[in-house]
Amino acid sequence: MSAHGRAGRRGTGAGRGAVEQGASAVPGHGAPAARPAKIGIRDVGKTFRVRGSDRPFTAVDGIDLDVREGEFLTLVGPSGCGKSTLLDLVAGLTAPTRGEILIDGRAVDGPGLDRGIVFQQYALFPWRTALANIEFGLEAKAVPRKERRERARHYLDLVGLDGFGQRYPHELSGGMRQRVAIARSLAFDPDVLLMDEPFAALDAQTRESLQEELLRIWEKTGKTVVFITHGIDEAIYLGQRVAVMTSRPGRIKRVIDVAFDSREGDLRADPRFGEYRHHIWTLLRDEVAVAQEQERTIG
Amino acid sequence: MADTLTPARGAGPSGGTAGDGGENADGTRPAGRAVPGTGSARGDAPTADDRATNFFRTVAGTRTSVASRLVTGVNRSLALVLLAGVWEVLPRTGAVDPVFVPPLSEVLLAWYDLLLDGRLAEHFQASLTRSFSGFGLAIVLAIPLGLAIGWYRPVADFLSPVLELFRNTSAVALLPVFILIFGLGETSKIVFVFYACAWPILLNTVSGVRTVEPLLVKSARSMGLGPVRLFQKVILPAAVPTVFTGIRLAGAYSILVLIFAEMVGAKAGLGYLIQDSQFSFRIPDMYAGIITISALGLLFNLLLLGVERRFSTWRTT
Ligand SMILES: Nc1ncnc2c1ncn2[C@@H]1O[C@H](COP(=O)(O)OP(=O)(O)O)[C@@H](O)[C@H]1O
Ligand SMILES: [Mg+2]
Repeated sequence: MSAHGRAGRRGTGAGRGAVEQGASAVPGHGAPAARPAKIGIRDVGKTFRVRGSDRPFTAVDGIDLDVREGEFLTLVGPSGCGKSTLLDLVAGLTAPTRGEILIDGRAVDGPGLDRGIVFQQYALFPWRTALANIEFGLEAKAVPRKERRERARHYLDLVGLDGFGQRYPHELSGGMRQRVAIARSLAFDPDVLLMDEPFAALDAQTRESLQEELLRIWEKTGKTVVFITHGIDEAIYLGQRVAVMTSRPGRIKRVIDVAFDSREGDLRADPRFGEYRHHIWTLLRDEVAVAQEQERTIG
Repeated sequence: MADTLTPARGAGPSGGTAGDGGENADGTRPAGRAVPGTGSARGDAPTADDRATNFFRTVAGTRTSVASRLVTGVNRSLALVLLAGVWEVLPRTGAVDPVFVPPLSEVLLAWYDLLLDGRLAEHFQASLTRSFSGFGLAIVLAIPLGLAIGWYRPVADFLSPVLELFRNTSAVALLPVFILIFGLGETSKIVFVFYACAWPILLNTVSGVRTVEPLLVKSARSMGLGPVRLFQKVILPAAVPTVFTGIRLAGAYSILVLIFAEMVGAKAGLGYLIQDSQFSFRIPDMYAGIITISALGLLFNLLLLGVERRFSTWRTT
């Protein structure tokens, strides 16, 4: 099975190799020869202090992952394995307790407009219209008012919401809200788009159309995308590579290259699609069992 | 379903149904979070008060079909007409003593006389000035203080014991103190109104800041906003509806407590008018004063509702 073959090269074992390679590229900083990965996650761990317990709680541990410039990477793993935690770390919202995260070879030390996040629950500001929401990041970037408005309109068009600019979030459907949230993240032109189960709350039809549009936008803008999902199909459909995480403490169990001869037609009907699905399902099955056991014992 | 004015987490909108008791406490409940240990001594006041507020909320906020609006309109005025009728008839038939409860027509005539000879305007103005001064002062001082308490943990920790103590001290109990310190003149009354109005505004502001959706804060932080911009662009606008709930409560208090102060010691004002009329046995004048106060409270509430609506068009239904 070709998927297996490729996955083998990029498994956890191979990840170590990538670390050394990446690490050697760092000291050179602007070293043109070995261009550093867009996102480099180096042996990253995050522990939380839990109230009423002196034992620290390890959410993720020893994560190694490189994301290439312009790549669309999807991340799957059992619930509670630390996917959101990892995304927060890349976003710079929290600091790792171990290891480091590099963007273009430079260590992350806080949030920044070079990365945009899209949350499952949209996180739109309810007192702002769709347009004003899209302008939010531009205000943070101190873009002049007139240009802000123009850019916001452009991105509103891009996500297919032309004419809905004056609506407040509560006047929009879930799918439309998520489109606004995506437009808001694109508007300040980040290199990296971090998406945490963005379509999980949407109905199947809306989800599919948003998946297609996201791919279209990604191809058009060339962003680097890290997309968390709990849907195996979604991960295969969207990702050029699918990273599978272990149960908590989360590590990268395997990274699988997804390649189709052509993306025309119904991808999900492609026999390769079924092979990928089965492969990832098998990888996840044991982890999910462990995760469920954990939830039972920890409560 | 809730009407368009339903606050995200303010007082209940459901038009004074039984369930409201719990929600009404919201005006005060946040205090529990603001200052540890709830136990509100003022629990009853907001309940009764907010019930009235809810009633007018529904009147002003229902946006159903014209027909059903007409029906509710007729329904509501019908109740008022009935009340007026009962007030007119019972004293005339002798079912109640017309000396203590004169028929409505006599009260209205007395009101008209008070209006013509300018006394009503004089008392009305005296009350309104005191009420607005105390209320305005409360807005100007309590909102910034509430924002500071809600936003800065150390400020909250420092102030909370004192706040908790005063919060549980009835404003009415403090009136003699205010009179001792500020004399019988305008100052003590304005301070008294200010004191009563400051609490709902302060507590709601604190809760408004504290209960901002964490995901919004996270989202704003991810776009690189520092503490100052975060406060200005996320915390403040998110807190506006809750702050307004406090302002509306305070608006009602400002009139309620002022009347009390004017009954205790004053030379003018609607409270004085009522008290003085009773002492000199001008019973119709007394009722005229009472009606005027009700109308004033009603108008004030409608005004504040209008302002609130302008500021929170974005609120979800
Ligand atoms: N701030 C925090 N404090 C304590 N524990 C946390 C915190 N954030 C997340 N966790 C825990 O870390 C684990 C991973 O969480 P998360 O990253 O949200 O998982 P996922 O997104 O994969 O479902 C969970 O068990 C969660 O309870
Ligand atoms: Mg998650």
